[in-house]
Amino acid sequence: MQRLSHARPARVAFTWNGHAIEGREGDTVGAALHAASITTLGRSRKHHRPIGLSGSFVSGSLATVDTRPNVRLDREPLAAGLTVRMQNTWPSADLNLLSLARLLPARMTYAGFEHTNLMPSGTRRFEVWEKLLRFMAGVADAPSAPNERTAPKGARVAVDTVVVAGGPAGRIAASAAAQRGERVMLISRGSTPGESAARMVGSLPELDHRVETRGGLEAFGIYRDGAFVAAAPLDGRVGALVIAPKKIVLATGRRSCPPLMPGADLPGVMDAATALSLAVDCAVAPGMQVAVIGTGAEIEVARRLRDLGVHVVATAPTQSLRRITGHNAVTGIETDRLITCDALVHAGPWRPDPALAFMAGCDGLLQLRDAPHLSGVSLAGGAGDAAEPIILGPGPRDAAFVCPCMDVTVAEILHHVRRGETDVEVLKRLTACGMGPCQGVPCWDQLAALLAEEVGGAPADYGHPTYRGPRRGLTVAQAAGLDGLVEPDR
Amino acid sequence: MSRYPKRASVVVVGGGIQGLSCAFNLALRGVGGVVVLDAGYWQGGASGRNGTLIRGGFASPEWTRFFGHSNQCWMNLAKTLGHNPMFTRRGYAMIAETPKTAAMFEGALKVHAENGVTSRRLDDAGVRSVLPAIAAERVSAAIHFRDGGVAPHHAPMKAYLAACRARGVQVHYRSKVTGIETANGCVSAVMVGDHRIDADAVLIAAGAFSTEMAKLAGVSLAGYPMRIEAMALEPTRPMIGPALALIDRLAYMHQTGRGEVVGGIEVPERPRPSLKTDLPVMTGTAKVYFEMFPALAQVRIMRHWGGMLHISPDYGPLLGPHPALRDLWITAGWSYGYSGAPGAGDLMGKAIATGQIDDRMAPFAVDRFDRGKPVRELGIVLATD
Repeated sequence: MQRLSHARPARVAFTWNGHAIEGREGDTVGAALHAASITTLGRSRKHHRPIGLSGSFVSGSLATVDTRPNVRLDREPLAAGLTVRMQNTWPSADLNLLSLARLLPARMTYAGFEHTNLMPSGTRRFEVWEKLLRFMAGVADAPSAPNERTAPKGARVAVDTVVVAGGPAGRIAASAAAQRGERVMLISRGSTPGESAARMVGSLPELDHRVETRGGLEAFGIYRDGAFVAAAPLDGRVGALVIAPKKIVLATGRRSCPPLMPGADLPGVMDAATALSLAVDCAVAPGMQVAVIGTGAEIEVARRLRDLGVHVVATAPTQSLRRITGHNAVTGIETDRLITCDALVHAGPWRPDPALAFMAGCDGLLQLRDAPHLSGVSLAGGAGDAAEPIILGPGPRDAAFVCPCMDVTVAEILHHVRRGETDVEVLKRLTACGMGPCQGVPCWDQLAALLAEEVGGAPADYGHPTYRGPRRGLTVAQAAGLDGLVEPDR
Repeated sequence: MSRYPKRASVVVVGGGIQGLSCAFNLALRGVGGVVVLDAGYWQGGASGRNGTLIRGGFASPEWTRFFGHSNQCWMNLAKTLGHNPMFTRRGYAMIAETPKTAAMFEGALKVHAENGVTSRRLDDAGVRSVLPAIAAERVSAAIHFRDGGVAPHHAPMKAYLAACRARGVQVHYRSKVTGIETANGCVSAVMVGDHRIDADAVLIAAGAFSTEMAKLAGVSLAGYPMRIEAMALEPTRPMIGPALALIDRLAYMHQTGRGEVVGGIEVPERPRPSLKTDLPVMTGTAKVYFEMFPALAQVRIMRHWGGMLHISPDYGPLLGPHPALRDLWITAGWSYGYSGAPGAGDLMGKAIATGQIDDRMAPFAVDRFDRGKPVRELGIVLATD
C-alpha cells in the first residue's frame, strides 16, 4: 500500500508470521502491516473468513504480539523486534488448513458446530469431538506464564467531574466545569485528548488549563449508579484507574456503522476514523484506489484523504450503494455504476456507542433495561444525538454478516425468525451474535435493523440484548491490580 | 384466543432448567397437561447465567447422594432427552489452599466412597498433570472427580425445551404469574394477568423469585434472593481442562468449549436485588486468576454479568411438597441448581406423579428448618461460616 509523503523516515523492523516486515516510526502494528499490503489480520471464528482493520468489528484487528494474545493491532504501537502472529490458524498462518472451514455450507454451522445430534454427549466420540472444537474455537494460543508476578497497581482518585473523551464536546464540557471551580478530569483514548476528533474536524476548542488530562486510557465501565468510572490503559501491563466522580459527562461521540450487505465484512472496508487514523497518524493510504461513502460527511472525509495524497476514486451516498464485490478483500463497489477500489471507507450512518450510558443507568431483575434518565450522568455532543438509521443493502442479503466475528449471517437470523423467534436476547443465545470481543456493538444495531426490515415495526421496538461491561477488555492483571480499591457494598 | 390453556394438571412456575427438567420428567411419566410459565425470556434467569459446573461429590452425605445421582443423569442426558445437551465429562477438581480445607477434603473423600461417587485425591504430581497451568505451590490438597464436567447453558436448555415440547408440555416465556389461588386448603389455579389456569398442582421452580411466588399462594419459603456475578475472558486455546472449585477463595471457574475462561467469586455484601454488576467481584475474580493461573495475566476480560438466586438458610435446595398448602410443590433454594437439575427433575417428577418422596431428596424437605434439621455442607463456594 502507498506510503504518504508525510511519513517519518525512521524504519522499524518486526515480524509477521515469521516474515520480516519494515514499518515506520509512529506506526501502529496494524498500520505497518497495512502499508506492507497485508490487509487480512485475522480469521473469523467458525468459517475462517479473512478479516482486517475495520474500526467496526474488533476481531479483525486481534493478533498475538510476542506472548500476549488478542492484542488490538490498530492501537498497538509498533516497536522494533515485535513478534506478531495471526491467530486462529493451524498448523501455521501460511498453510492454514482451518480455512477449509470456509467451504462448509453456512447452515452447517448455525450456532456453531454444537447442536448436532450426530455426536450425542455421554459418548467417547463426543469427548474427542468436543476436544477438537475447543481447540478450533480457542482462536489464540494459550499464553505462557509471565515472569512478572505482581499485578500492575491500580489507582483510585476522587474528582468533581469526569469527562470521557476529549473531542470538541468533551473539551467544552471539561472547560466549563473547570471554570465553575470544579476538579475536572478528562480521560481520552488517544495519548492527547481529542486526537481522533482532530483528524475529522481539524481544529479543536481550547481546553482550560485547570483540567487534569489522562491520555491513553479507555473508560471500560460505570458502576454503582455512577459512583465509579473505571478506565484502563491500552497496554495491559500498566495499572488501571478507578475514578469516583460526583458527575460524569460522556462525550464519546459517534461512530460510522457499515451498511448491512454482503461484502461489508471484507478486509478493505473500514470506517472513516480508521481510514483517517491510518492516513493522518501513520501516513499509510487506506488503499491504492479508495471509495468513500457516507451520509453527508463523505465529501469532507474524501477531501481530507486527498489532501494527504490518497487516491480517492469515488464518493457516494451510503444509501446509493448496491453491492460490494470481492472474495478475500474488497475489489469494487456498485452504485449507479461499477467502481474498482481496494478500500471502501464509510462516513455514516453515524451512531453513538450506547454501552457506557447503558451501564450507568440500567436496572432490572428479569432483564436489565435502559434507564429513562440518568442522574449525575450527562451526554455531550454526538454521544447524545439520535442515531442515524442503519442502512440495509437493496440486493439479496442472506449472505451478509450481522456479526462477522462470530460468522452470524442474515440467513441464520432469519432461520430463527421464520420459526417465530424475534426476541433479541434469545436470538443472541441461539446464534452467539454479538458475543465476540466487540460485545454487540454494532452487531446488535444491525440485528434490530434487520428485524424491523423483515418482521415489521421500528428497530427500537426490538431493543437490544444487555450491554455487559467491561466495555473494551482490560486484562486480568489490570483488574487484579484494582482489587481492594472499591469496598464491597455491605 | 388466549395462548394459555384453561386448565392444567401441573403448572410449573419457572422455565429455567429446574422447571423444564421437572416438566419433562412429569411428561415422561405420562402426566399430560403440564404447563410451564416464565416471566422472563428463555435462558434469561440463573440457568443462563451460572458457571455451568457439574459435580457429584460434596462434603456431606446428603449433598453427595443427591448430586451423585444428578451427575449420573447428566451422563445419560443425551439419551434421555434425544437431544444433545453437550455435557462434557472433562473432570472436576476441588482445590484446597489451607490445612482446614485439606482436612475437610479427607472427610469428603470418605463420604464419596461410601455414597458411590468416584473421586480421588490428587498428589503433587497429579495436580501438575491435571492442571499444568495452576500455581501448584499454592495447592495444599485437591480432589478430582472423573465424572464431573460442564455443559454450555444453551445446549441443555435447548434440549430440555425441545424434549418438553415434543412430549406435549406447553412452555410459555414472557408470561408472568400474577396469582396462585387456593380452595379448601389446596392449590386450585394460577393467574397470568386476567387469564386463569385451573390446576391440580403447582410447582414453584422460580429461582430467585420463588419466595415471591410462594407469597402469591399465601405461604412462606425460607431464604432470600441474592445476587452473584461471573465473568468471561477472551478466548484462548485450551489451557484449563477440568472444571474447578477453589474452596478457600469462594471461587469457581472453567474454560468453555469456546475457549473463554468463565468463573466468579462470592463477595459477601448486602442483598441487592438487581442484575447489575459491580467492581469488587470482577477485581476479586481477576486476583484469583492472576494468583492461581499466572498465564491468564494478559488475557482480557470480555464480559461480566450478574444473576440472581434463592439462598436458603443452609444453602441447600428446598425440595418437595410445601407443608402448609396441599398440591403446592417446591424446587427452590438452589445455589448448585444447574448441576442438580437433571436429578431434581427425575426425583420431583416421581414425587409429584406417584406421591413417593425418594430418600435422596427427603433430607432437603421444605420444612427441615422448622424441624431443626438443616443440612450442613462445607464443600461449596459460598460463605458458609
